[in-house]
Amino acid sequence: MRDALRRPWLTGLLVVSVALGVAVVVAIDMANESASRAFALSTEAVVGKATHQIRGGPNGLDETVYRDLRVIDGYRASAPVVEGYGIAVELGRQTVHVIGVDPFAEAPFRTYFNSTTSAPLDALTGFFTQPGAVLMSADSAARFGVKVGDALTLDVGSQRRQAVVVGFLQSPNEVSGRALEGLWLTDIATAQEFFAMAGRLSRIDLIATASAAEAIAARLPPNLTLAPASEQSNTVAQITAAFQLNLTAFSLLALLVGTFLIYNTVTFSVVQRRQVFGIMRSLGVTGAQIFGLVLMESALLGALGAALGLGLGVLLGRTTVQLVTQTINDLYFNVTVNSIDVTWLTVIKGIALGIGAALLAAVAPAAEATTAPAVATLQRSSLEERVRQLVPRLALAGVLLVAGGAALIAFIQTSVVASFAGLFIGLIGVVLWVPAITVGLMRLAAVGLGRAGLTGRMAARTVTGALSRTAVAIAALMVAVSVTIGVTVMIASFRTTVGHWLDQTLLADIYISPPQATANRSVTMEPALAERIRAVPGVAEVEVYRNVVVDAPALGAVRVSAVTVAHARDAGLYRYAAGTPGETWQAVEGGAVVVTEPFANHHHLPPSGGAVTLLTDQGPHTFPVAAISYDYSSDQGIVLMSLNVYRRYWNDPEISSVAAFVSAGANREMVEDAVRAALAGSVVVVRGNKALRDAALVVFDRTFAITAALRWVAVIVAFIGVVSATMALQLERTRELGVLSAAGMTLAQLWRLTLLETGLMGATAGLLSMPTGLALAAVLIYVINLRSFGWTIFFAPAPEVYLEALALSVAAALLAAVYPMRRLMHASRETTAALRSE
Amino acid sequence: MSQPQTLIRIAHVSKRYQEGDRERVVLADVEAAFGAGEHIAIVGRSGSGKSTLLNLLAGLDLPSAGEIWIGGDCISRFSDRARTLFRRDHIGFIFQFFNLISTLTVRENVVLTAELSGWKPPAARAQTDRLLDAVGLLDRAQTFPDKLSGGEQQRVAIARALCADPPLILADEPTGNLDADTGAQVMGLLTALARERGKTLIVVTHSSEVSALADRIFRLDHGRLLEVAHRHPA
Ligand SMILES: Nc1ncnc2c1ncn2[C@@H]1O[C@H](COP(=O)(O)OP(=O)(O)OP(=O)(O)O)[C@@H](O)[C@H]1O
Ligand SMILES: [Mg+2]
Repeated sequence: MRDALRRPWLTGLLVVSVALGVAVVVAIDMANESASRAFALSTEAVVGKATHQIRGGPNGLDETVYRDLRVIDGYRASAPVVEGYGIAVELGRQTVHVIGVDPFAEAPFRTYFNSTTSAPLDALTGFFTQPGAVLMSADSAARFGVKVGDALTLDVGSQRRQAVVVGFLQSPNEVSGRALEGLWLTDIATAQEFFAMAGRLSRIDLIATASAAEAIAARLPPNLTLAPASEQSNTVAQITAAFQLNLTAFSLLALLVGTFLIYNTVTFSVVQRRQVFGIMRSLGVTGAQIFGLVLMESALLGALGAALGLGLGVLLGRTTVQLVTQTINDLYFNVTVNSIDVTWLTVIKGIALGIGAALLAAVAPAAEATTAPAVATLQRSSLEERVRQLVPRLALAGVLLVAGGAALIAFIQTSVVASFAGLFIGLIGVVLWVPAITVGLMRLAAVGLGRAGLTGRMAARTVTGALSRTAVAIAALMVAVSVTIGVTVMIASFRTTVGHWLDQTLLADIYISPPQATANRSVTMEPALAERIRAVPGVAEVEVYRNVVVDAPALGAVRVSAVTVAHARDAGLYRYAAGTPGETWQAVEGGAVVVTEPFANHHHLPPSGGAVTLLTDQGPHTFPVAAISYDYSSDQGIVLMSLNVYRRYWNDPEISSVAAFVSAGANREMVEDAVRAALAGSVVVVRGNKALRDAALVVFDRTFAITAALRWVAVIVAFIGVVSATMALQLERTRELGVLSAAGMTLAQLWRLTLLETGLMGATAGLLSMPTGLALAAVLIYVINLRSFGWTIFFAPAPEVYLEALALSVAAALLAAVYPMRRLMHASRETTAALRSE
Repeated sequence: MSQPQTLIRIAHVSKRYQEGDRERVVLADVEAAFGAGEHIAIVGRSGSGKSTLLNLLAGLDLPSAGEIWIGGDCISRFSDRARTLFRRDHIGFIFQFFNLISTLTVRENVVLTAELSGWKPPAARAQTDRLLDAVGLLDRAQTFPDKLSGGEQQRVAIARALCADPPLILADEPTGNLDADTGAQVMGLLTALARERGKTLIVVTHSSEVSALADRIFRLDHGRLLEVAHRHPA
C-alpha cells in the first residue's frame, strides 16, 4: 500500500477507472431498482390484499356483476374499483392514478384506506357527499402546497374535470407513504363521473381461496375474466424487463473496459517492482505470499474505487432515474419516482463488481510477480519475450471464445441474457486477437515507416517491443471505440428505420389526440369530436383510432388498435401480407386482424396464416391474421383491426384519436388552426404531421439517451487507459529516451517518436474497432434488439462513424502522450540521472 | 616535438548544485586542454565529479560558470537543440550500464547514431557491419541486446559510439560493470579502435589498468582537475 502512495498517478488512475465503471453500474442499477420499486409499491397499494380480480373488456364491466356477486351469490369478500389516469394540471401536470372505491367494502382490501379513519370526520363526510371529492397523499399535498378544500383540475382524455381535495391520505410508514405518491382516492360515483363510466366498474377485487375463485369464475358471463391479482404486476415487470436488461448490459460493458485498465495499471506496478519482489524472494518470501500481496493491494484499491464509484453513482443516479422513469412513462406505463432508492443490494453489487474486477484484472500480473527471479535485474525484454510467445496461444484462445460467443448467440435463441453473454465473450475473444494483429500491423508499419527513417521503425518496434503494455492499451481503446461504433450504428440504424416507418405510417396531415395519449396508453376522446373535425372546412377525410387493452385467454393483456382507414398504406409496411395493401384492408374489414412484428415475435405466431384469440364482450373470438406489419411504437406488440369490426365485438363507442387529411389546395396550417378552433374547450393536442413525427423522434432520442451517454463513459475510461499505458511506457523508457538524447536525438525527434508510437497504437485500435464495432452493431441490431423487443431494424451503415472512430482513437492516443512527454521535457536532468544508475 | 592540436578546452568551468539552502560545489574552476587524438583518463574518488564533468563535455548538462570549447565551438553557449545536433555529429558516448535500446536489435542499436547524423542508409549499414565485425559481433547482429553478456553488450555500445564517426569518444566507467578480464578486453578493444581511427578518447575510470592505457591521466580532487601522469609518445 505504501508503494501505491508512491505512484499517485497510476494509483489514481486505477481508482478512477474502478470508480467510473462502478458508478455507471450503480447509477443504472439504481434507476432500474427505483423505477421497479416505485411501480411495485404503487401496484401493491392499489392491489392491496386482493387475491383475485374480475375484469371485463376495455370499457370495464357492468355494476350489476358486483351487485349479483354480493347479493345473489352472497360473496362479501369483494370490492368494486373504478380507476383511470388523468393529468393533475395544478400539480405540475403530473399523471395521477385515480382510484374509486366503495368505503364500506374497502376495509379488508387496502391498508391505506384505514389510515384515513384518522382524518377529520368532516373530511370523510365530504368524501361521500361533495361531487369531485378526492383524497390525496399528504406528502404530495405538502409539496404542491395543496390544502383541504382546494379545487384541482383533472384532465381525463379530451375532457376537463374538477376535483376537490377533501382530505389527505396519511400512511403509517415511509414505504407505503411513497406508494401513495401520484394516487388519488375517491368514491365509486366520482370516479365513474371522471372516467365517463356510469354504471360500470374497472374491476372487482376478491379475497378468495383457489376453489372459491374457481367456483365464481364458473358462474361469470363469458366476456369477463377472473385472474390472480399477482398476474397484473408480473406482466408489468416483464414489460420493462428487456429495457432494463439492456441498460444493465451496457453498464457492464463500461466496467469491462475499466477492467482492462486495472489490468494495465496493476501490471505496470508489478513490473516496476520486479526488483523488489526479486529481493523479497531471495529473502525467503514465498511466491504465494507475493501473489497474495499483489491481489490484496489491488483489492484494496478496487474497494477504494468502488466506494468512490458508489458515491459518484448515487450522484449520477439522480439523472439516470429521471431518464429511465421518463422512458418508462414514454413507452410503457405511468410510474412516479419521487425518491431514489439506494438498496443494499445495489451497494453490495457495486462493491463486489469493483473489487471483483480489480481482483480479476490482478490475477495475471500477480502471477507474473511470483516469477520475479531472485536476482535484482530488471529484464523487461525477457517478460516481453514471454508475452510474444503467448501471442499465438492468446489468438487461438480468442478464436475459441469468439466461436463460443457466436454459438451462445446462435443456439440459445430465447434468452437475451445468453445473447449478451455471447456478445461479451466474443468481444473478449476479439481482444485476445489484439496482440497478434498488433504485431502484424506493426510489421507492416515498420516497413512503411522504415523508409521514412529510423524513428518510424523504432516507433513501430517499440509498440511490439512493449507488447505487454501496448496491447492492453490498444485493446481497451479498441473495445471502447467498437462499443461507440456499435452503439452509434445501432442507434442510427434504429432511428433511420423508425423515421422511415413514420413516413409510411403518418400519412395524415393533422393529428388530434388527448395530451396523455401515447402509443401504449389507452385514453379516451369524445366521439363527437371526430364529427366536429370532419366538418371543418378544408378537411377532406378523417381516420379514427381507438386504442385499448383487452384480455386474451392465452396471451394476457393485448393492445388493440381499432382504426378506420382513409388511405391505403405502403406495401413496405408489411413484413408479411396475404395480398396487396388494398386486399389486406379488405380482409381486415371482413374481420381479420393485422398484428405488429413484436406481437408476432413475442407470441411466436407463424410467419403467415396465424390467428389471435381475444376476449370480446361476447366471449372469446378468434381473429385470423391477414398481415404482419412493421411497427416501432410498442415492443409489446399491437393487434390492428377495423373499427367497425371492433365495435361489432366490443360495446365501446369511444375513440382515442383522430387523423385528418387536408383537401387538395387547402392551406394545411390554416386548416390546422381551424381544427384547433373547432375543438376549443376540449383538452386535446392538435399537431401537424411534422410536429408529431418530431415528437416521436424526441421520445426515441430520450429512450436512447442513457445508452448514448454510456458509450462516452466507455471512451473516457479507455482514454484513461491509454494515458496510463503511455505513461507507464514512457516512465519505463526514461532511461532509453536518455540514451537517445545522448546519442543526439533532439527533443523534437523524441516528441515525434513518442507521438508516432502512441499514434500507431491509436491507429491500430481504430482500425481494429471498425470491423469489431460493425460486428457489435450487427449483433445488437439482429440479435439483441430483435430478441429483446422483437423489432426488425434495417442496417444503416452510417459511414462517418468509422472515420470518427479512427480520429477518436488516434486523438485519444496522441493526447495520451502529452503528459509523459511534458514530464520528459522537464526532465533533461532526470535523463542524465537515469543514465547514471541502474 | 609535435604537440597535437588542441581539440577540447575547458576554461574556468565550475559546477554547483543547490541542495536546500546550501550550495554544493562539484567542479571549481576547472582548467584543461586535450589534444586531438589524445587518450585521456580521468580518475578520482566516488562523488568527485567525474560523471558531471563528462556530461558537461557531452553537452548533456551546462556548467554554472566557465566555457567548454570543442573544436572551434563553445558548446556551453549553445542552445539545448544546438548541443544535441552537435553531439550527434561530434561525440560518441559509452555508459557504465551499456544502455542499449532493448527494443532494437544489435545492428539497429549501432546504426542508430549514424542514421541520426544523417548517413545514407547503405553507408550507415556498411559502417555498422564494419564496426560489428571489428568488435567481433557481426554474427549477433539480429539478436536483441538482452540476449548478450555484459561484455558483449559493452562491445555493441563501443560500436554504437563509433558508428557516426565522431572525433570525440566519451566513456563513463565503461568497465565498471564488468569483471577484470572482460573489462581489460573491452578496454583494449576500445583503445585500439580509437587509436586506429585517430579518435580523441576520454575515459572516466577507477581502474589503474584502464588508466594505464591513456596518454595522460587526470585526477579530480575537491573540484580541481590535476594532471597526474603523462606518457610521452615513444
Ligand atoms: N543533479 C544533481 N543534483 C545535486 N547533486 C548532484 C547532481 N548530480 C550530481 N550531484 C553530486 O555531484 C557530485 C559528483 O557526482 P558525480 O556523479 O559526477 O560523481 P562521480 O565522480 O561520477 O562518482 P562515481 O565514481 O561514484 O560515479 C556528487 O556528490 C553528487 O551527489
Ligand atoms: Mg560517475
